[in-house]
Parts: sequence; C-alpha cells; structure tokens
Amino acid sequence: MKKTPVDNTKDNRFELLRELLLAEDREKFESLSKEVIFREKLAKNVSPLMDEKILDLREKFPEYFGDTITETIKVQIRDSQDEVVEALYPIMGKLVKKAIVSEITKLTESVNKTVKEKFSIQEILKRFFKGKKNDADVVLQEVFEPIIEEVFIIEKDSGLLSGSYSRGNIADKDMVSGMLTAIKSFAEDAFSKEGQDLEDIKFETFQLSIQNFKSIYIAIACSGVLNATFKEELSDRINNLAEIILRDRSYLSDEERLNTLIFQKLIEE
Amino acid sequence: MIAKKVLLVGNFGVGKTSLIRRFVLNEFSEDYISTIGVRVSKKVVEYENETIKLMIWDVAGTSGNEKIPKAYFLGAHAAMFVFDVSREETYLTIDENLQMVKELSGLQNITIVGNKKDLLTQKELNKVIEQVSVNIDLITSAKENDNVEAAFMQLTAQTLN
Repeated sequence: MKKTPVDNTKDNRFELLRELLLAEDREKFESLSKEVIFREKLAKNVSPLMDEKILDLREKFPEYFGDTITETIKVQIRDSQDEVVEALYPIMGKLVKKAIVSEITKLTESVNKTVKEKFSIQEILKRFFKGKKNDADVVLQEVFEPIIEEVFIIEKDSGLLSGSYSRGNIADKDMVSGMLTAIKSFAEDAFSKEGQDLEDIKFETFQLSIQNFKSIYIAIACSGVLNATFKEELSDRINNLAEIILRDRSYLSDEERLNTLIFQKLIEE
Repeated sequence: MIAKKVLLVGNFGVGKTSLIRRFVLNEFSEDYISTIGVRVSKKVVEYENETIKLMIWDVAGTSGNEKIPKAYFLGAHAAMFVFDVSREETYLTIDENLQMVKELSGLQNITIVGNKKDLLTQKELNKVIEQVSVNIDLITSAKENDNVEAAFMQLTAQTLN
C-alpha cells in the first residue's frame, strides 16, 4: 500500500494557531507555577523559624504578655466588679456555705452528745459535789478536748533528751530536743530579763508548754482548747513528775524507765 | 547508749557545716544557723565498744560572738574549734577565741582542726602550721573527705575523758 505523504504545512499551521490561542493561558500558568514554587521554597525556609517562634511564644507567653494580661484583667475586674461578683458569688457562696454547714453539723453533734452525757442527773450531782468547773467549761472541754500529743524531758544545759512520750510519729526526738533547747536559749537571751524562762510556744492548733526546773525542763505539746482547769491540773501533774525525777536522778539515765513514768504520771492518770 | 553534746565553733566560713555534712546526714535545715545562730545534728558512733549518740551543735561564727547566746555552750561534753588554713584571719586570734570557748563551755581541752587543706600546697600548709600559735590536732578537707572521720572520732574520745 502506498503511504500518504505528511502534510507539514498543515501541522505547522495548527501549531501556530494553538500558540496564538493559548499564549495568554500559558503565561498565566507559568506565573502561577513560579508563584507556587516560590511559596514552597519560602515555606521550606520559614517553617522551622515559625515553629521555633511558636514554641518560644508558647513557653514564654507569661513573660511576654503576662503583665499586659494581668493589667487587662485588673482593669476588666475593676471596671466590671458587679459582673465579676455576680459570676463568682454563687460558686464561692456555695463552697463557703458547704464548709460552714459541715463544720456546724459536726459541732452540733458533738455538743449534743456532750450535753446529753454531762447533763444527766448523775453528772450534775457529781459536779455539784465536786464544785470548781462551770457548765460551759465542762461542755467546751468535752467538745474541744485537750490532748497531750508530746512530752519531752530535756536536760536544761545540754539539750539532751532524757525521756519522752509521743502520740504519733514526729521527727527525730533527739534533734527536736536539741533545737528546742537552742530556740529556748535564743528567745530567753533575746527577750527575757534576768533568768526569766520561755514558758509557752503557740502554733495554730498546738500549744507547747514548758515548765522549767533546776536541771531539767519539761515540754508538753497539747492540741485542743486548753482551759484554766486543764492547765492547772497539767501543771500539778508535771510538778509531781518533776519531783519524782529530781528526787531519784537515776531516771535521767534510764530512758525506758523514765518513759514509763511519764506515761503513768501524765497520760494514764 | 550514751548521749553527748559536742560543739563546733570557729569563724564564719571555715567549713564547720561542711565537716558536719560529711560526717552526718541527719540534720535540720540550714536556715536555723542564720536565724538563731545554731543548728543541731545527730550522729550515732561506735567508739571503743561503746555506742555514743553525738548531738552536734554547729555554732555560727565566733567573731562578734556577743550576738550568740552563751547558753549554746553550756552542758557540752567536747568542742572542736575549726579554722580555715587558707584564711589567716580565722587563726590569727585563735588563742583569744579558744579562751572564750573554754570559759563559756567550762571545757579544758578543745580539739583544734584546720580545714580546707585542699586549697594549699604542702609547703604553704607547713607555713600555716608554723604560724598557728597552738597545737593543731588535725588538718582536714571536708571537700575531699580527708581526715573528717578522724576529727570527729577525736572529738568523741574527748567526750569520754
């Protein structure tokens, strides 16, 4: 079969026509392509920097904007106090109310129980014959019962611990005795006048009473409400204990024996 | 167990606290020493078949001692005077300082320790030993744990004399 000759003139014309018709589109395509390539390149270079900056911003946000935000919040709160109070009041109010109700319930139960027990005819008669305590004292003492938590018998000068009693576990008793002696010496040196001794140290829920004798001092940590009657009784018991120890100094070199004596005279009685 | 109170005295910065740190771990916070001028640590040691509970009172610098309650020195069974071999001012008035510690504590013998030997060469150290007017019992380095145990053992021995 004879081959049909190629019509080059026709092909070229078709190419030319295409060139003419698509020239504008091609330009747009090239420009868009350049822009995409440029953006990709830019993104490649800028991305790590951006990530670094974002991380830095995240980490140091309070440093960069803390003051501004605080100031803004302050201004906002100052300018819209009513709204803030309105928003917080129900939440705070509920929490406070809940806490108070819980504590009052506990107190009521405790007072009820004590009143029931202490105001029986038997108890009233007992108090009548015993005298001394008034009714409020009796109830208060029962509700906020004072408890001896710790007892330390310490050599006055050296601060060495001779004997002790502890309801719970406290830090190293030898070191507590040493530091207590140091603090006592410091306070006496700084504030007292001629031979006066430190007698009380108060914490929030604890009271440390110190009774000083010639060569020893007895420190007692109590929790609860320490009324006059309790203090008086405790003081008597401490004096009795000290008398026994000072009459028989061998107690001071026998810790176990002294601990038993402390328990008998201060806790058991 | 026998309990004994021992004192560590000496100028500010001679390394008393570092010596104690090396010797014991059971101690109260550092803050006490700057607040009330003393801090108590405890170490139980065995010495000549005897178990001894050492209550170590680290008394703040003895220069300007008028500010430290005298009661800290009472009832002590032994004392160690520490000076810094690299600082002349800590041993120049050693006689005076020792006399004061003796008067306040009622102790006759005091263990004398020169600390921070790691900061001097042997030649410099020899010069310091010549310069110090009293007999030095031990030269220590708390940093390199050199002679620390020995110093406290000597102090323990002193409590039994």
